[in-house]
Amino acid sequence: MDAQNILRLRNVVKDFGTFRALHGIELDIKEGEFFTIVGPSGSGKSTLIRLLVGMEELSEGEIWLRDKRIDQTPANQRPTCMVFQSLALFPHMTVGQNIEFPLKLRKEAPAARRKRALELLDLLRLPQNYYDKRISQCSGGERQRVALARALAFDPEILFFDEPLSALDYRLRKTLEKELKDLHARTGKTFVYITHSLEEAMVMSDRIAIMKEGRFEQIAVADVIYGSPVSRFVAEFMGEVNLFEVTGTPRGAPEGPGLESRLDGKAAGAGLMLAHGEAGTIMVRPEYVRFLPAGQSTDFMVRGTLVGQYALGSRIQYEVETAEGQVLTVEKLREDRFAGAEGAAVVLGFEAEHAHMIRGA
Amino acid sequence: MQPSRSTRIALLIYGIVTIVVLYLPLISVGFASISQARYLSFPIKRYSTKWYAEALQSDTVRDLLTTSLKVAVIVTVISVAAAFFGALAFARYHWKFRTLFQKLILLPIFFPQTVLGLALLMWFNAVGVIPTWKTAVVAHLVWIAPIATLIVAIRAYSFDPALEEAARDMGAGTLTILREITLPLLMPGLVSAGLFAFLLSWGNFPLSLFTTGADSTLPEWLYAKMVSGYSPLVPTLGVMSVVGSFLVIMVAFTVTWLVRAMRESRTAMD
Repeated sequence: MDAQNILRLRNVVKDFGTFRALHGIELDIKEGEFFTIVGPSGSGKSTLIRLLVGMEELSEGEIWLRDKRIDQTPANQRPTCMVFQSLALFPHMTVGQNIEFPLKLRKEAPAARRKRALELLDLLRLPQNYYDKRISQCSGGERQRVALARALAFDPEILFFDEPLSALDYRLRKTLEKELKDLHARTGKTFVYITHSLEEAMVMSDRIAIMKEGRFEQIAVADVIYGSPVSRFVAEFMGEVNLFEVTGTPRGAPEGPGLESRLDGKAAGAGLMLAHGEAGTIMVRPEYVRFLPAGQSTDFMVRGTLVGQYALGSRIQYEVETAEGQVLTVEKLREDRFAGAEGAAVVLGFEAEHAHMIRGA
Repeated sequence: MQPSRSTRIALLIYGIVTIVVLYLPLISVGFASISQARYLSFPIKRYSTKWYAEALQSDTVRDLLTTSLKVAVIVTVISVAAAFFGALAFARYHWKFRTLFQKLILLPIFFPQTVLGLALLMWFNAVGVIPTWKTAVVAHLVWIAPIATLIVAIRAYSFDPALEEAARDMGAGTLTILREITLPLLMPGLVSAGLFAFLLSWGNFPLSLFTTGADSTLPEWLYAKMVSGYSPLVPTLGVMSVVGSFLVIMVAFTVTWLVRAMRESRTAMD
C-alpha cells in the first residue's frame, strides 16, 4: 500500500470468450504522473483503458483508485474521464455546451457553468467567441482542445487518453503533444495515455509501459526504455536499432559472428558480461555507430558495404550490409555526414558504454 | 467538365417535359375542382368554388377527413415510437438475433399491399375482430412501421457509439443519455420517419380497402365514386387531400425550424 499511488491494478485479467486479452496486469500509477501505455494494435492497450474507465468489465482482478476499489463501479460513477480517439464531441451542441456538459449533469448553475467553460477556453488557448461555435465549425486541432476542455471541466481524478492525436497530421500532432505535456504540468493531474506511437510516448511521458500480447514487457522512464530495453521486442519497438546475437566466451566476454571486439576488460564495467555459453543480444542505437577511418579502432567493430543512404531531414541514415547479410543502420547529423559512395567497403565501430546487453535468447 | 450548349438545352427540355408530364394530371384535377360543370371539359366555361363550399358543409366529407386523419395520426405516432427503438436495435446495438431482425423487418415491405391487406382481413375474420378504422391502423402499421424504422436506422448508422460512452463516462445515466444525446441526434431521422408515416397512411388505398370495414378513408371514397356515381366532389376532395399532405409537411418544417431557433436562442442566453 503506497500512499502516493493513485491507481493500482492487481492481477487484472480480461477474457473475450476463449481469447485472453489481458494476462494478470499489475500496475501502479503515481499521483500526478504522465503515464503512457504503448503497444502495437492488438496488444490489449485499448482493452486495458476501457477497463480503467469502466466501459468493459474485468474477468478477474482488482482496480484501486487511492483507497477505493472501483472495478465494480459503473463508468458514470467513477471520478475519472477519458478523451476518446474519435473525441466524441456532441455534434448537436455548441463548443460551450460540450464543455459544460459534465457540469450540467452535476446541476451547476448556468452562470457558474459558463464561467468555468470560458476559463477552460482560456486555459486551452481558444478564443472566447468559440463558446457559441458549432463543433462542425472547428478545425481538427480546435476539436482536440474542446475535447480536453470538456474532460477538464469534469475535473477527473485521472484523465485517460485513447490515442486522441492519431488522426491528425504530423505538424499539428507535434504541437499538441507539447501542449498536452504543458497542460499536464499546469494542471498537476494524473494523465494516463495510450498510443501506438513511440515518439508521442517519448515526448510527453514521465513513465512508459510497453505492452505486448496482453502483458507489460517493460515499465520505465523513456531513457531507460530507449537505452536499456529488456527484450528485442522493446528495442525494436522503440525505433531503429542494431542487434547482434552473441554468446559468452570462457572468459565471459560477448562474442558473435562478424562482431570484432577489443574490449580489454571493459565488458564488465559496461555490464556486457555473459556466463560461458550464455546467449544474449547486443543492442546499439544507430546514432552511436561511427564510420571508422583506417587505423582507428573502437570497442566493437563490424565490416560491411555501404548499400544505401537516406536523408531524414536533420539526419542522414545509412544502411550497411555485413558479410553475414545483416543490414545495419547508422545515423549521422547532416553536418557530420559520411562521404562515401554506395558499394564502398566501410568499417563501423561503437563503444562498450553505448552498447546494451539484452539477456536471454 | 462543362457540358456543351446543345447538351444543356437538351437537358433543359428533358427536365421541362418530365415536370409537365408529372404534374399536368395533378393540375387538371385542380382545374376540374373549380369548374362549375358537373363533368370535366376543356376549356372550362365557368369557374366556381361551389364544390368546395359543398364539400366543407358535407357530413360525409367531414367523416372521411376525420377517419383518414385519425388513422394517419395514430399510425404516425406509433410508427415513430417503434422506429426509434427498432432503429437502435437495427443499427446501434449488437445482440443475438440482430441479423434475423434486420431481415424479418423487411418482409412486410416486400409483400404486395393488396396481398397484405387481404391476408390481414382474413386474419381479422379468423380471430373474430370486426374491421373498422382501428383494424386499418393495425394494417397500416404492419407496412409503415418497418419503413419508418429503416429511415431512422439510416440515421442511427452514422451515430458514433463513443458519443453515448462519453456521456456515460462524464456521469450521465441511461435516461439522461437518451434525452441529451440519442434523441436529439436521431431527431432529423425521426421527423422524416414521421412525415413518411403520415403521408403513406394518408394516401394509402390498398390496405385501407381491405381493412376499414364499414368506415371509409378519403382514398377509398375517391375510388368508390370513380367506379360508380362520379361527383364533382371527387376532384375537389382530391385537391383537399393533396393540400392536407402539403400542410402537414409545412407544419413539420416550421416546427423543426422553430425548435432549432429556440435551441439556438437558449444557447445564447445561458
